[in-house]
Amino acid sequence: MKVSQIAGFLGSGKTTAVMKIVDELMKKGHRIAIVVNDVGEINVDAKFIESHGLKAKEIAGGCICCQIAGTFSETLAKLHDSYNPEIVIVEPSGVAIPWGLKRAAEYSEAKADMVIEHAPVITLVDATRIDLLVKAVKRLVETQIREADVCFVNKVDTASPAEIARTEAMIREMNPKAEIAHMSSETGLGIEYACELIVNRISPRYDEAVEEELLKKQYGG
Amino acid sequence: MADMTHIERAMAGLENKPADRLMTYPIACGVNRKLIGNGITYREWAHNPKMYAQAFIEGQKKFDFDFAIGLMDLSVMAGDLGAHVRMDEQNTPFVDEPIINSIEDYEKLEVPDVKKGRSAVLIEGTKLYCDVLKSQVITAGFVEGPLLALTQSAGAERVFMDMFTNPSAVHRALAVMTDYDVEMTKGFGQTGCAGLCWDYLWGNYSCLGDAEYDEFEGCSKYALKLNALTLKEGMAVAIHNCADLPHLDTQIKKFNPSIYSMAYYPLIPGSLTASEVIAGGYADKTLVAGQIDPQLFIRGTTEKITQVTKDLCQEVKTALCKRGLNNSPKYIIASGCEVPPDIHTKMENIAAVVDTTKKYGKFDT
Repeated sequence: MKVSQIAGFLGSGKTTAVMKIVDELMKKGHRIAIVVNDVGEINVDAKFIESHGLKAKEIAGGCICCQIAGTFSETLAKLHDSYNPEIVIVEPSGVAIPWGLKRAAEYSEAKADMVIEHAPVITLVDATRIDLLVKAVKRLVETQIREADVCFVNKVDTASPAEIARTEAMIREMNPKAEIAHMSSETGLGIEYACELIVNRISPRYDEAVEEELLKKQYGG
Repeated sequence: MADMTHIERAMAGLENKPADRLMTYPIACGVNRKLIGNGITYREWAHNPKMYAQAFIEGQKKFDFDFAIGLMDLSVMAGDLGAHVRMDEQNTPFVDEPIINSIEDYEKLEVPDVKKGRSAVLIEGTKLYCDVLKSQVITAGFVEGPLLALTQSAGAERVFMDMFTNPSAVHRALAVMTDYDVEMTKGFGQTGCAGLCWDYLWGNYSCLGDAEYDEFEGCSKYALKLNALTLKEGMAVAIHNCADLPHLDTQIKKFNPSIYSMAYYPLIPGSLTASEVIAGGYADKTLVAGQIDPQLFIRGTTEKITQVTKDLCQEVKTALCKRGLNNSPKYIIASGCEVPPDIHTKMENIAAVVDTTKKYGKFDT
């Protein structure tokens, strides 16, 4: 089962993008489930998801390390057993840590007969609000950009060229390794490319081997 | 050195005196409901003060911890304010329908009656286990700090954005949450617990810088006020923060708690190991507790968690020695966050942490 995280801060256009991506993937014949955490919009999402014959579950906010791990892995295991999706699109909270969700996703392997793969971690950055985001929630935005494989500069249809350039420069500064692409959830620009990434590319697993090495180094044994 | 009692050992740590061994408290709370009869559901445990207390009493009997600290979950206050809490056996409970969905909603918050709901279960249950356990171990209640209670009630993303776009609304809501916490603190003050553990989760550099944390929690209107009230009510201040990059200078050096519980994230640059925490002077005046990965209690084998505990004991003893804190139990071998209350959690792994600390945490080994 492949897990695709589409991150971004509140108002970054995540929900619209997720729904368009899901529509597109379903048109291509993929079996999709969605896990959302945008608590303010869960009801809307749930209705949408229901109407599309998808399966929705929620994941928790709150404590970053343990609560999400248990809840999310349980959610994925249940999704696998009840619906067996090919791809699970995850719309995490703006305060979730992408590697934490990767690790939690892999925990679900112990709870169901499956192997987890990760699609590239996608982070949406709202070019029209970049100045506000940097002022208001810089640290959270930084965390999401730092851990992204691909950053989509979103809302490029309404952002000015200067805003787009500033957003790209900020992404490059925070995560020089991330690929940068453009999206407009409203017009559909970039949706096809996001789908291609999700289907055809892989992001590394949360590497327990690396963690083991670090722990060994720390403990000297 | 002869074996000490749990309380003698804790007092030695608090007073910077030598002790027989390191202390241990895997934060095993909701999971102890499995020890009552044939096990009860989380919902039964979290809604009945007698059952809530009984779990801690049974946990103490079975594992022989050095402390008893009564964490329920982080949705108690939001739930009593009206948010819907999802509660089942595999997950830690969480808010799935917040009560704050607009700026206007911040204004509608009112302090609920702490003699009702799960707030009352928490306070009454704490009194019941303290009555039984306070002669054996240092006891503490557990309560959510105002900013955590607010993010649980509104969703963290919303609150973080509103801190910038509508700070006055957030401050008004935090004032109500602080008043709620005042009532909770006074309630805990009547339970006989020796300490009160505050969950100040958002003191986290991944989310807030020093200035923002000071404005929205660390200042005299909120955390400092509650810390002072805790002391006034006759309880020591303890703090739990399982964030990846906690504000240690503020929460340890400025807040000056007796106990500080924290986690370690090996893959996060800047997350401090136990030895780095000790070397940084954070255990000089405070008992620091940590940092075993909570997921090991579900996923790890008993052999693995035993080895991790053994290694942590050695690391801590060496670091204490280097810091000149020889033989003083300034660091508590604990989980970095609550042992997951998941029904699949391995109780034998909790026992392994305690037993391994008793053996390898001795200062003469």
